[in-house]
Amino acid sequence: MSYLLRRIGFYAVAAWASITLAFIIPRMMPGDPATAMLVRFKGKLKPEAIDALREAFGFTKAPLLEQYWQYLTHVVRGDLGVSVNYFPETVSGVIGGALGWTMVLAGVSVVISFLIGSLLGVLAAWRRGSWLDTTVSPVLIFLGAYPYFWLATVALFVFGFTLDWFPLRHAYADNLPPGILRFLGSAITHAVMPATTLVIATIGGWMLGMRNTMINVLGEDYVTLAHAKGLPSRRVMFRYAARNALLPNVTGFGMALGFVLSGSLLTEIVFSYPGTGYLLVAAVRSRDYALIQGLFLTITVAVLAANLLVDMIYVWLDPRARRSS
Amino acid sequence: MPRPGQLGGKALLLAALVATACAPRNDAANGVLVVEESQQASSFIRNFNPLLEVGDVRWPTLHAMYEPLLIYNPLGGKYVPWLAEHHEWADGGHVLRFQVRAGVRWSDGTPFGAADVVFTFELLRKFPALDTRAIWQYLDAVTSPDPTTVEFKLKRVYSPALFYVSQLPIVPAHVWKDVADPVTFTNESPVATGPFTEVISFEPQAYQVGPNPYYWQGKPAIKAVRCMALPANDQSIISLLRNDLDWAGSFVPAVERIYVGEDPEHHHYWSPPIDGTVLLYPNNTRKPLDDVRVRKAISMAIDRDLMVKVAMYGYTRPADATALSDAYNNYRYQPAVDAGTWVLHDVAGAERLLDEAGLRRGAGGLRRMPDGAPLHFDIGVPVGWSDWIRATQVIVRSLRGIGVDARVQAIDFDAWFDSLQQGTYDMALGWTEVNPSPYGLYRHLMSTETLHPVGEAAAENWHRFGLPAADKLLAQVELATSFEQEKPLIDQLQMLFVENAPAIPLFPGPLWGEYSSRDFVGFPDADNPYAPLSPHWHPQSLLVLTKVKPR
Repeated sequence: MSYLLRRIGFYAVAAWASITLAFIIPRMMPGDPATAMLVRFKGKLKPEAIDALREAFGFTKAPLLEQYWQYLTHVVRGDLGVSVNYFPETVSGVIGGALGWTMVLAGVSVVISFLIGSLLGVLAAWRRGSWLDTTVSPVLIFLGAYPYFWLATVALFVFGFTLDWFPLRHAYADNLPPGILRFLGSAITHAVMPATTLVIATIGGWMLGMRNTMINVLGEDYVTLAHAKGLPSRRVMFRYAARNALLPNVTGFGMALGFVLSGSLLTEIVFSYPGTGYLLVAAVRSRDYALIQGLFLTITVAVLAANLLVDMIYVWLDPRARRSS
Repeated sequence: MPRPGQLGGKALLLAALVATACAPRNDAANGVLVVEESQQASSFIRNFNPLLEVGDVRWPTLHAMYEPLLIYNPLGGKYVPWLAEHHEWADGGHVLRFQVRAGVRWSDGTPFGAADVVFTFELLRKFPALDTRAIWQYLDAVTSPDPTTVEFKLKRVYSPALFYVSQLPIVPAHVWKDVADPVTFTNESPVATGPFTEVISFEPQAYQVGPNPYYWQGKPAIKAVRCMALPANDQSIISLLRNDLDWAGSFVPAVERIYVGEDPEHHHYWSPPIDGTVLLYPNNTRKPLDDVRVRKAISMAIDRDLMVKVAMYGYTRPADATALSDAYNNYRYQPAVDAGTWVLHDVAGAERLLDEAGLRRGAGGLRRMPDGAPLHFDIGVPVGWSDWIRATQVIVRSLRGIGVDARVQAIDFDAWFDSLQQGTYDMALGWTEVNPSPYGLYRHLMSTETLHPVGEAAAENWHRFGLPAADKLLAQVELATSFEQEKPLIDQLQMLFVENAPAIPLFPGPLWGEYSSRDFVGFPDADNPYAPLSPHWHPQSLLVLTKVKPR
């Protein structure tokens, strides 16, 4: 238990550090948001209006320390400010609208990719030299090595545009008659292509990682002993070998899960999916400080939460973690 | 901010893939016009506040819902009477008077009147954040002596006021008087005078607005206008090819083959060069660019025919030396055009001018400064703007041809714009604005009022050039309240620009527009140029929306 407590303490410090970084990093980018606003209007804005707008957008010229303090207190209250890009919508409102879609699409893809990839890795290591090991594994690595943008664009072109099997854009059809089942059906059809490309692009990595650790583990004495004692091979494969081989992959899984919110921006652009990745690109492009901060913060919280989850899985998977206190 | 159409690389790849396919289909129900939104986005915020141009407002707000007093039409350069039937200058240019149209109703049935106009301008006075064009800087008072007349009293005679005052969207006093803070008001259920005012459905990824039952030009024939979220140019192109979009304003590479070729009967585009002229801005504070001979020599070295062909796919023409795009055709002064020989490709002439300026060729054939220091220019251009980058490559090659060492400096958009504003660049490509009168253009190019020292952000006059003679003429233009008074002054400004070559015009920007005539007819094109085709110009799109009909 104290292991988990220590981890939670560590996460609290990490959260503070990243909240602070989310404040500092946008301010180190070249240009300032007022200039960025000028840019959007190609110099049409007059200086008088800019001053008034600065106030409306919440840009202050207050000393950094004061801004920082204000930022911290606002964050604690859950007030992330107003987005310049989507003015007058608040940052929480903008992120809230996008978060769900990204979490479901990218989250489900990562989980599927991890589960199938790891399982394939186990099987490939167990039956070394089989077609699974010699054919499927290199093909998946090959696909994963393609630039994702290209892969997604080709998928969109072939399965969406030419064959017309899947919708070209958006998370669901907007002209549906009401009905929760219809909505779900539509959302699933819309998610198939983006999710599949995400899985294809990442599954090879999981499989290879799992296969390699698994081969190492299979050479261990306790596996030989398990075999010698006559345990069923399925039990040896999953309960003894795979359980131990899974540990490095689980760490990677935690990272991947945390970066779900930021990592799927190309998917969202290619398939016009209304998620946070696209928001982040647009926010950085137009120096939307408040939105950048809000997204950084959300991503940070997600990474930390995912890692905490992984720590808990570790405790369950690895008895040594339980005893290390 | 990427201009629609500037992310050419990806678009090209996709377009090349797409060109081989076909599968026309129309998702939209009959009579629903699908228009490209002005914001590239992955999801929409429900905001129909027409005064919040700086905010994230939905396309119909300014293009189909709220209407101005007049609509300036850059094709023909005339004001079209809209909510006002008539306008005139009075009291020696101190008063601008409008007669508002009788019989106009708001979409809730309430009659529209002069009081609404007065209310709208008073709102701008109370909330300076809404007055983005700083109208109240020269406005003294807005009154309505009778229910159909609005009078704008100016602090001083200032003729450009007509443009800014007449293009402002008018909001209903009876609704907006109860709005506590119009700066953060999202106006989710708009009441307006325009052709499409009723929000039929609003989803984060698509929405639909229906006709105004009380529209003063009669109920529109189009059943509804629909917009959907398209985060990038590729998505616009794909949607155009699938007939999912009826009307768009995106740059389409090789449009003849990719879009028109797909369905020559229905797919059309029109891209007249009426957007602002693209200029090569030389930093006039840096030697030797402060020498007019050097600026002219650089201009003469550039092969604009090649540039238009290579960089712009032939969709525009080489600029003349007045820097006026086709939106200013009625102002173009032929003697100034004729005098501007420095925009003609003349390598020998360029070499002669540089020799005269003391920039002689040194070792390796490269020219050096008169004191022997090496001569080198970086030409700034935003990364990803493929057409501009290709144009810059043409310039660099041309300059090498006359012994001038130059380099394309493709940098991040913000860094590029920052260097323009701060004046910390050698040379850079940049745009110009389009207004009814070239007054704004020449103020940007030659006024000492817009001139800021290097290191201080300048919204205009990035090349940092000011001429007192230009100030005098510009001040006189401000007093000229008719085209006849203004024209001779603009002529002189053109002559002044041609003489001094403070910046180097390259080509007028084409204003892109594509439409499909499968389900709708009546769009403007080269044969019927009644308005710009682009759906991204407001309030001009009102001219199109009131003409387009279902087939």
